[in-house]
Amino acid sequence: MANKKTNQKTIIVGLIAALIFVVLGVTVFSYALETFDVKAEELGAQEHQIWTAPFADYTVGGSDSQWIALAVGVTATLLLFGVGFGVAKVLKKRGKQ
Amino acid sequence: MHIPDGYLTTTVSVAAFAIVIVFWIISFRKIKLAEQQVPMMGLLTALFFAAMFANYPVLFGTTAHLLGAAVIGLIIGPFAGCISMTIILVLQSLLFGDGGITTLGANVLNMAVIGVFIPCALFYIFNKAAKPKSRGSILGMVFVSAFVGDLLAAVAAAVELSLSQGVFQYGLSVTLPAMIINHSIIGVAEGVVAVIMIGTLLKLRPDVLQSSPILGKLAIFENKTEVEP
Repeated sequence: MANKKTNQKTIIVGLIAALIFVVLGVTVFSYALETFDVKAEELGAQEHQIWTAPFADYTVGGSDSQWIALAVGVTATLLLFGVGFGVAKVLKKRGKQ
Repeated sequence: MHIPDGYLTTTVSVAAFAIVIVFWIISFRKIKLAEQQVPMMGLLTALFFAAMFANYPVLFGTTAHLLGAAVIGLIIGPFAGCISMTIILVLQSLLFGDGGITTLGANVLNMAVIGVFIPCALFYIFNKAAKPKSRGSILGMVFVSAFVGDLLAAVAAAVELSLSQGVFQYGLSVTLPAMIINHSIIGVAEGVVAVIMIGTLLKLRPDVLQSSPILGKLAIFENKTEVEP
């Protein structure tokens, strides 16, 4: 069984990989024209937004700045780690009871 | 594959939510996490959220991004995997406008239920039938499971669109081929990433896979035999 240090190392390596994805996604692979959206629009579907997301298109106030997109991406990734970890911890604790 | 608001009829959206709620209840009841899976669930949630940032080119000028549902399900199990993917989809919808609110049920059904449970079920069946011991055959099963999972998630989206007759004038004969052609390629990418990630963990952190409700059932873990090259 791996010790705590090995687990921490895996998490750090994994988070670095996640942040690399964010950097690549914001800088190199940022152009998005998803198959699903293209096909749905070709077939006549139209989006009817009922909620204005605070960070729509992973940016703030429609800004084109890569730095803002990067900051949103990094913060969101860390938030997702926190939420995922927190939920897992609660579920694990509940399982022990 | 995130369906925005307005693409589905109310009936289809409500039906999807109804199915998803059943899976959420089952997942919350059945979930069992080993100690090292707790941070792993956090990591996989963050990793595949981040992976969705990178869009790679597919066919006819379109792009795709990784889903990761199969990898998450195979590593931490389908119940935890379903919750992990749900966290990603809920936050994407509420904070980033990626996927609608009314269509959240359909998106969870496609990506967190079908995308997670199908690869896990397939791998479970393959493992029971073939009892693989070599690294190659294990990773081959991982690839097929991830590929089929992604393809069926796209098929589900096509079915939901075709059932939304108030929005679309086209049936399944149009929506299905439209999704299947591109998602056959996207599925290959999904399978390759699944093979790379699980292959790496098999080599460096087999203990993480050993505690998985799906991969932990491999003969190499149950009989403690060495994995063949």
